[in-house]
Amino acid sequence: MTAAIPAPRSRQMRACLLCSVIQTSADFRKDGCPNCDSILQLRDNPERIQSCTTQYFDGIIAVTDPEKSWVARWQRTSKFVRGMYAARVKGRISEDIEAELEAAGIKYRPRDQTEQD
Amino acid sequence: MSDLDEHEHMHNDADDMMQDEEEEEAQSETDHGQPRRRHYDEDEEDEEDEEDDEEEVSGRKPKKRKRKQGASRFIDLEAEVSDEDEGEEDDEDYGGDGFIEHMDGGIDEDVGRAHHARLDSKTFDGEDRTAEEIATDLKHRYGGRNAVRYSGDMNEVPQRLLMPSVHDASLWQVKVKPGRERDIVFTLMRKFIDMEFTARPLQILSAFERDTLPGMIYVEARSSKQVKDACKGLSGAYTVKVNLVPIEEMASLLQIRKKELTVTPGSWVRIKRGKYLGDLAQVVDVTENGEDVGLKFIPRIDLNPRDDGSLDALGKKRKKGSTAAGTMRPPQKPFNFEEVVKVYGRQAVAKRNQVYVFQGDTYKDGFIEKDFKLNALSLDDVNPTLDEITQFSRRQDGLGGENPVDLSIIAEASRKAAVSVLQPGDHVEVFEGEQAGVHGTVEEVSGDVVTITAAGLDIEGQKVDIPARSVRKRFKPGDHVKVMTGKNADETGLVVAVADNIVTFLSDMSMKEVSVFSKDLREAAEVGSGTNIVGDYELHDLVQLDLQTVGVIFKTERDSFRVLDQNGQVRIVQPRQITMRRDSRRAIATDHDGHELRVEDNVKEVDGEGRKGQVLHIHQSFFAFLYNREISENGGIFVTRARSLVSLAPKSSVFPKPGADLSKMNPALALHPGGMAGSSIGRGPRDRMIGIIVQITRGPHKGYVGTIKDTNGPIARVELNTNNKVVTIEKTKLIERNTPGSNRQFADRLKAMGPPGEPGKPWGTRSVNPYASGGSTPTWGAGSRTPAWAGGGRTPNPSSDSRTPAWNASSRTPNPYANNAQTPAWNVSSRTPNPYADGGKTPAWNVSSRTPNPYASNNGGATPARNAWGGATPGRNAWDTSTGWGDGWNAAPTPAAATSPAYAAPTPGPGTYDAATPFSYGAGAMSAQTPVSAPTPAAGGWREEESEGLSEEWLLDNALSNVLQRIKIRIEGSRNYNYLDGKYEGLTGRVMAATRVGTNMEQTATIAFDNGEQRPILMKYVVPMQPSGLDGENGVLLDGPYKGREARVRSLSEDGMLTCHGDFGFAEIPQDKFAILTVAPA
Repeated sequence: MTAAIPAPRSRQMRACLLCSVIQTSADFRKDGCPNCDSILQLRDNPERIQSCTTQYFDGIIAVTDPEKSWVARWQRTSKFVRGMYAARVKGRISEDIEAELEAAGIKYRPRDQTEQD
Repeated sequence: MSDLDEHEHMHNDADDMMQDEEEEEAQSETDHGQPRRRHYDEDEEDEEDEEDDEEEVSGRKPKKRKRKQGASRFIDLEAEVSDEDEGEEDDEDYGGDGFIEHMDGGIDEDVGRAHHARLDSKTFDGEDRTAEEIATDLKHRYGGRNAVRYSGDMNEVPQRLLMPSVHDASLWQVKVKPGRERDIVFTLMRKFIDMEFTARPLQILSAFERDTLPGMIYVEARSSKQVKDACKGLSGAYTVKVNLVPIEEMASLLQIRKKELTVTPGSWVRIKRGKYLGDLAQVVDVTENGEDVGLKFIPRIDLNPRDDGSLDALGKKRKKGSTAAGTMRPPQKPFNFEEVVKVYGRQAVAKRNQVYVFQGDTYKDGFIEKDFKLNALSLDDVNPTLDEITQFSRRQDGLGGENPVDLSIIAEASRKAAVSVLQPGDHVEVFEGEQAGVHGTVEEVSGDVVTITAAGLDIEGQKVDIPARSVRKRFKPGDHVKVMTGKNADETGLVVAVADNIVTFLSDMSMKEVSVFSKDLREAAEVGSGTNIVGDYELHDLVQLDLQTVGVIFKTERDSFRVLDQNGQVRIVQPRQITMRRDSRRAIATDHDGHELRVEDNVKEVDGEGRKGQVLHIHQSFFAFLYNREISENGGIFVTRARSLVSLAPKSSVFPKPGADLSKMNPALALHPGGMAGSSIGRGPRDRMIGIIVQITRGPHKGYVGTIKDTNGPIARVELNTNNKVVTIEKTKLIERNTPGSNRQFADRLKAMGPPGEPGKPWGTRSVNPYASGGSTPTWGAGSRTPAWAGGGRTPNPSSDSRTPAWNASSRTPNPYANNAQTPAWNVSSRTPNPYADGGKTPAWNVSSRTPNPYASNNGGATPARNAWGGATPGRNAWDTSTGWGDGWNAAPTPAAATSPAYAAPTPGPGTYDAATPFSYGAGAMSAQTPVSAPTPAAGGWREEESEGLSEEWLLDNALSNVLQRIKIRIEGSRNYNYLDGKYEGLTGRVMAATRVGTNMEQTATIAFDNGEQRPILMKYVVPMQPSGLDGENGVLLDGPYKGREARVRSLSEDGMLTCHGDFGFAEIPQDKFAILTVAPA
């Protein structure tokens, strides 16, 4: 499985607030988030895409072998599909999604590197 | 639940458990049906629940369905797939075999049947697996939305456990063309995908770039070769050198954070592009994802569009035209409805509530409110100026514009800057947020977060992380602080008040209250005057700037001074621009009333502004530098003409203060021409050290001999004898070089010397104001008693000089004796004859009396101790009188002389006499600042100093040669030094012979003791027999003008003064300055 790889110069690149995958908004709309659409349900949902992805991110990581890559492990994306990921994503997911994650027993880690442990 | 249901569960169960569950299946279904349900995975459970519900509604329906399903196993797979309810169907499909079993088991519980069922299920295994595969296929086919379930299973692991280990692949740094980092990372990704199934796939694991690390990307791979292979052929990637990233730096590459730029409502930003390029704007609101920012700023509306005609209809075009016109952008101006309507017409502006809409923008309160993309704004280095902020705050207060600037806005604007001034160790307090009120010490500052160790009751000692913008430095009244930045930089002072973030302190220098933001302050380690000294110069020093100019330092800065020169101009000078420091402590000027004006006088101006102040310095008797701490200008220093000043404490010419200007009333002084005094004023006192031959003891010029040409503070300029070069050298590195073998440590001399120049002055100068000027400086007294003088005085050649005619006059004034006689102090000492005798016999005294100045000054010295000495010692008075001074002195006996208890204290026994070295005097007691309180050692030391090497040789005095062999002597002090075992101590005898042997040898005298023995004795243990006070004793005067003359004792007063009568008439002399002679010439 591979996420859609945007064109390098695309101005529409957005990063998922939950898994930090980078796709164009068109790809998000078409296929949703390859990793977390079960929760975010971005497919065909432009508003959701607006609120759950952002164009404010920095550092682009091409993850070609998520399982073996330390970088992916460090970024906590080793269980995700191959693709482009952001090193840091600005912003947090909305609170109701966070609550949803919590209900599912999943700890939400913001990708803005504000929390370190 | 019906039996049937149970069976149904069973069959579902069975399909889950597969063949390995055969045995259990064989058992009774009722036992195991329920517990097994727990094994179901969630989906199945859900579906089953649904079924249960349905079943509960109608018991038959499910059975029907099951039957149908049961039948379906004979039907083609295609048919199953095409069935409507996919999800359920999937499950039911591979539950087919269970159905059979259920059918069998349900109807008949025979074991054989069960066996059949097993067989059946076995036969269906193959088909069953296929069904599973099909299910997986289906899931793949339809599972777009839940193909990968998001699970945060990685999220529970702390980041530190994810640190790279040696087993992980390495990171390799690849240099790339700046600007191409992102492209190359993307290209690597695409290349990887393209090459994945080729013969040579890329073997990298990941690649990334960071915006903050331009010109390089990082590739994760096992070897550099893999990296190079991957990057081969990529334009812009320089693979010649691929660097391994150390394992400990790997994580930090991913942790790099760009400076956090947050936009919060109320903060200031600048617009990066468009018509409002560079304009300051205030954030009104921010969308949730932080991309769009609502701004408020001052519009630029073109009120002079080029062609007015086409406006109304073509508003939009107009707008485009005006922006495109470009070169001249309209000035910033608040939106004014009337003006805009006048230009653009009423239709162009719509009004909704308080808001105007014009050309698609909304205007409120004169501001334009507009949404901008975050990336069209610059958030850092906004630095709003005061003007800009004032415009905003004015508008906010309505259009009045009278309200003063709200300082808090500026404070807010500068808050960001405050973050950078926090340093570990600072005391801070949290003023906003949850932790508001907590205070503590900064432990660590990392980015925008400070770690503080809290102080206070409940969280004492805990470390707390706080956003730096939420803390401010904390000061409390009493702290000594220093301003770090701003216009008050380097000011120090004591905090007197703290209000929020504004600290008011009392400046050390100006004594003014200064209010500054607490962020600009630090607690200053250096307290007080530390900042007032730069180089060798100090605040309030009078310094020579050039030949014509002197000035007073009124402010010291980091490495420069502000100096107010005598013309009233302020100069900023570097220490090196200062030629020298001037000493005006003894400078005198004449004030408006013709009185003297001296340093430290409190005066005020008679004309001009009538300023008051204390005289700091006087320059050329004309300019006076005054200091008044209440004047803020120039640090309270101002310059004025001495002639325009009057004393604040009027000096009465009628009632002189005790110890004050007595000399003026002294008729004797009237004889001296005034010009003499006048002429010596204004000329800077010549440094007494100038001209002295010195030797350099340290440094590159060590051993060189030279002459002091100039001195300035601790520095001397020495002209070397060897090559006529002038070198600048510290005085401590010099020794005086007078006579061979008697080189003197220069520093000692310095100490003892006190203010230079005095001895060189004509004594007339002194006469102007001897008491005050001499007396006010204790050092003066000390200085006049320098051993140097004693040293210089070692030429025992006094008698002729001391015979000044004044003697008679003064000797006839009975006053001092009477006075002194009443002082008990004197009595005490009078019974201890030794010191006076010694002192009196010292040639040093004589010598010094030849140079009147030091004694004049002694006399004049208002230092109590001095007075005590001078006044109480009649002998001294006598000599002093010889200088013409005695009159004045005697006429005005100082009480100090009479009562000084310190003087009574000394026990001038042999001990003191014998004590110590010559230098002890200069360095020790006498230079002590409080001569009065300097008791025994002072007196002893002093006396001894006077007599050192002199009194020892009193027998060698030429004046005594006539009577030498008749002088009765006693041995004294030998026991203390165990001289000849002290066995001669106390013996009396007479001198047989005393001749000088060598210069530096200890002199001896041949003594004929009364017991008949005759032997040489060290002269220093030989003291004259003193008169018992009996009338008629014959003796010789050992000191004074009649030294060496024979006289007959007339009376001995209680205070030790001896009245004697010789052929010269009557004389009075301390009894210890009188030696008994044998009656008949030997």
